[in-house]
Amino acid sequence: MTKEQRLKKRHNAEKRFRLYGLASIFFALLFVLILVHNIFSKGSSAFMKTAINVEVFFDKDLLELELGATEDEILEADFFDITIESLLNVYLAKNVDEEDALIELFTTDAEIEIKTAFLNNKNLLGKKINLEITASDDIDQLHKGNYPRNLPEDRRRISDFQLKIYDELVENKTITKNFNNYFFKNGDSRDPEIAGIGGALVGSFYSILICLLLAFPVAVLASIYLEEFAPKNKITDFIEININNLAAVPSIVYGLLALQILLATIQLPRSTPLVAGITLALMTLPRIIIPCRASLKAVPPSIREGALAVGASKFQSVFHHVVPLALPGTLSGTIIGLAQALGETAPLILIGMVAFVVDIPSTPIDPSSSLPVQVYLWSESAERGFVEKTSATIMMLLSFLIVMNFLAVYLRQKFEKRWN
Amino acid sequence: MELMNNIKIKSKNLNVYYGEKQALFDVNLDLNEKEVTALIGPSGCGKSTFIRCINRMNDVIDICKVSGNIEIDGVEINDKNLDVVSLRERVGMVFQKPNPFPKSIYDNISYGPKIHGKGETKSELDEIVENSLKKAALWEEVKDRLDEPGTGLSGGQQQRLCIARAISVNPEVILMDEPCSALDPIATAKIEELIDELKKTYTIVIVTHSMAQAVRVSQKTGFFHLGKLIEVGKTEKIFKNPDNKMTQDYITGRFG
Amino acid sequence: MNFVLIFLITIFSFSLFFYGRSKTKSIAIEKNIKLNALPKFYGYYLVLWCSIPSLVFLLIWSLFEPVIIKAIIIETAANQGAIFNDKNEANLIYEKIKAIHLGTYFGDIDIILRESALAYAKFINLFTNSKVVLIFAIVILSVIYSLKKINKNNKARDDVEIILKGLLFVSSLIAILTTLGIIFSLLFESIKFFSVINIFDYLFGTNWSPQRAFVRDASSITAAEFEELKDAFGFIPLIAGTTFIAFIAMLVAVPIGLFSGIYMAEYASLKIRRISKPIIEILAGIPTVVYGFFAALTVGPFFRQIGENFGLTVSSESALAAGLIMGIMIIPYVSSLSDDVINSVPQSLRDGSYAIGATKSETIKKVVIPAALPGIIGSILLAVSRAIGETMIVVMAAGLAANLTINPLESTTTITTQIVMILVGDQEFDSPKTQSAFALGLTLFIATLILNYIAQRAVKKYREKYD
Repeated sequence: MTKEQRLKKRHNAEKRFRLYGLASIFFALLFVLILVHNIFSKGSSAFMKTAINVEVFFDKDLLELELGATEDEILEADFFDITIESLLNVYLAKNVDEEDALIELFTTDAEIEIKTAFLNNKNLLGKKINLEITASDDIDQLHKGNYPRNLPEDRRRISDFQLKIYDELVENKTITKNFNNYFFKNGDSRDPEIAGIGGALVGSFYSILICLLLAFPVAVLASIYLEEFAPKNKITDFIEININNLAAVPSIVYGLLALQILLATIQLPRSTPLVAGITLALMTLPRIIIPCRASLKAVPPSIREGALAVGASKFQSVFHHVVPLALPGTLSGTIIGLAQALGETAPLILIGMVAFVVDIPSTPIDPSSSLPVQVYLWSESAERGFVEKTSATIMMLLSFLIVMNFLAVYLRQKFEKRWN
Repeated sequence: MELMNNIKIKSKNLNVYYGEKQALFDVNLDLNEKEVTALIGPSGCGKSTFIRCINRMNDVIDICKVSGNIEIDGVEINDKNLDVVSLRERVGMVFQKPNPFPKSIYDNISYGPKIHGKGETKSELDEIVENSLKKAALWEEVKDRLDEPGTGLSGGQQQRLCIARAISVNPEVILMDEPCSALDPIATAKIEELIDELKKTYTIVIVTHSMAQAVRVSQKTGFFHLGKLIEVGKTEKIFKNPDNKMTQDYITGRFG
Repeated sequence: MNFVLIFLITIFSFSLFFYGRSKTKSIAIEKNIKLNALPKFYGYYLVLWCSIPSLVFLLIWSLFEPVIIKAIIIETAANQGAIFNDKNEANLIYEKIKAIHLGTYFGDIDIILRESALAYAKFINLFTNSKVVLIFAIVILSVIYSLKKINKNNKARDDVEIILKGLLFVSSLIAILTTLGIIFSLLFESIKFFSVINIFDYLFGTNWSPQRAFVRDASSITAAEFEELKDAFGFIPLIAGTTFIAFIAMLVAVPIGLFSGIYMAEYASLKIRRISKPIIEILAGIPTVVYGFFAALTVGPFFRQIGENFGLTVSSESALAAGLIMGIMIIPYVSSLSDDVINSVPQSLRDGSYAIGATKSETIKKVVIPAALPGIIGSILLAVSRAIGETMIVVMAAGLAANLTINPLESTTTITTQIVMILVGDQEFDSPKTQSAFALGLTLFIATLILNYIAQRAVKKYREKYD
């Protein structure tokens, strides 16, 4: 090889090498974009729900109610008959099979929706009103364009007859898409069209709150002790080794810990934000301690010495002077730790949050789910409708995480003093 | 009439900036081949910056901007299209603090030749390693332990190792940036002896803080102050009767 | 009741603070004594003594009361003639008794249940009353003690600070407590497991099918059932699956992570670095359940589709899909650490290489990386440890079949998947099946501990060279 050839080869190798580096970074960026696009395109439709305009007649006789009935009486009343009547009025069904098919176009909660409308306006007794009744999951997906219409009828869940009705509804413009308040209001459900993350939201909120209340004080106090007061001996070394190890323990092991000690030994109630919060707190402890210690370490000795020089005790110098300066870094690290806790799934599955919980929890000791666990549960379901709900839940989860991370970065940049 | 060596390196209107700050002002300096030229002056006056221009090492620093001309054998090296890699094969450098690679002594020396394709077979490389170490006056001390790490040598030995490394690719010029400032007097003496030998083969430019060293090893001396070349001439003249008052003040220790 | 107690203790402490502070102030003036600390510290002293012993006692009592009562009531029920074959039936009966007491039980109540419910009510009352009495006693004794100390004009600030320092120390002990808790939880069940299943059958068995272990109670296994059990808990397919998927993940993460780390450390301008570093960090911030969802719903079927087009049979839960996505998740672990490690290689080494006429890539390949190698290996080991312990991606995207395969197009299962699958189904306490999950957890814990230890040693050795 001549000198020129060799030189050219080396320079080409240099260009290739640099390209690999750039390509790697692009690959990461590309993946994030693909992931976000995939999730958002699947999930954005979940924020709308399909509804069919139905004329409802609140027949006094069928309801067996009088004007001025109490709320209890209304709740006891049977709305089933007027529901079926009103739904059947949407289209002419010639036999029982067709009638059943027609009813299937609506949500199983149709009766509840009609009852709720009545509870909101008791003067409707004996009158007719147009209500937007939520469509069934299949119609919802069909209307959103997620359903393959051109499969042969025996491979579809929607019959040809139902498709005919649907097309007519579309032509008459009696079928619409409204904002899906169920997604935020309701708890879990077997029917995707009325399933919501309300329960998971509250569950996550309580879990993270308990995690914060437990982990933050303990972590900060432990950090202060280790950084400022701990003597350099074997015990301190051992504590530090433990903290570093705990940060690297797989999350599922924490689940096993919670199962054995919190559930089996202490017998706290299963599947509750309380247990979730305690478990998450144990996981988050090292994640707060490490940045907190770094922030404390970064405060220059001159601050401490200045305080001691005016006669403050070591304690006062630490708590009045050092800790406030370390606060931005600590808070920033805490928020990031909480963001990680928000996304934890495996340990929560082990403590039982995979149970099917319909009600929105009202206290931290009611059984509940959490956002990431809800994602897991719904992803296991077969119904098409859950795909968009799961994606939408991920969108909510990611949004929270983005906000929290921005907050952490903002805190750190705005308030942290640089000691140069 | 003395025999003047040919001009090997020629700088003309050389200006160097570190960001906003200018480090060299219009430096015009000729360096003769197979001769030792010493660059002296107080700290921060631009001597290191100047020699780093000769092998384009300033390219490594992002904020450094070089303008002006430097010619080696008549070829402009501040050209964008110049192959820096080939330039550095011809112009070697030894740094202030010895920086052997964390490899064996053998691998330290064979690194350069391997990259430039100068030794294909093991025996060729063996020969290059032995020659370089001999020329750097280190062979006898390390010939039995070529596999040991270069970082295990003493400071003086490490610097000679770095000199051997620079020699291994057969350069024409060797730039030395205060090569003895981290060494004890005995090691320093060894290296100065070495430089005296090396000038028979290579053009040497040495930046030094020690005026005594400049007197001992160099034939030509340039005095820098605050980025400007104040005076240049034969070493004897510069130190016995310089033309410029500032030079006079510096060598008599009035500042610096 | 607990809230009431906590509330009372809090109020009492508050009032003690004001009392202590004002009393010491007035006595000092009255008797013209020089106080050994500011009045407020005497207040703090009282508060700490009043609240800490009583609250700690309350906590410990509340932790253990339910367990003790349950044991007593089950014993009582047994004495009344109730029969239960195992812990599950015992729990069931106990739940019924509790429900009767709360008035939420609507089944038949036989005499055993009725008597037990009465006993339960009795014991609940007894325990609650004792608790209240004891707490009052503790509070009163603590307050008397601390008042005596104050009367002797103690150095209140120093004493308060000693107590607070103790609190700080205890906080830091939580780390040790957690580790102990983990070890205890894992060992407790694992020991029970290994009393039934031979540890060598576990470690070297090649068949994993815990569904076969339908035995409810370890103490009543017949010989035939025992023989069957022997072969049901072989660990090898699990470790094989775990390492296989982790290996695929590292095939993705190491090149991409290393190259991005190198690029960011050596080539990237400040602008590019400021954009690319956060982007890579985003990969680490995405919850693994999101990765799992993406892998299961999009990537897995996608690979299966491509495979079909080429005439290959690709499972929709292929190891390839799970490994690929896991690898992407791990990229930041390799990239960030490598970036840091490469940045701390001294510039003088690079200068030495450039001065010889090496290109940048040659310098990186032959000088910088070898110099940074221990640190890079450390980062890779940490990434492997993360991969092995990962749960959600494999639960959602990898399979449940414990087969020994090196075909990435097939599906295979991992340790973490099995732990979840075992514990999410019907949980029968004291069955080898449930206990096996803990044995798996113990193995995982030890493996990651060892990996982390080696990784930290490697990084430490590297730091010692250059810092």
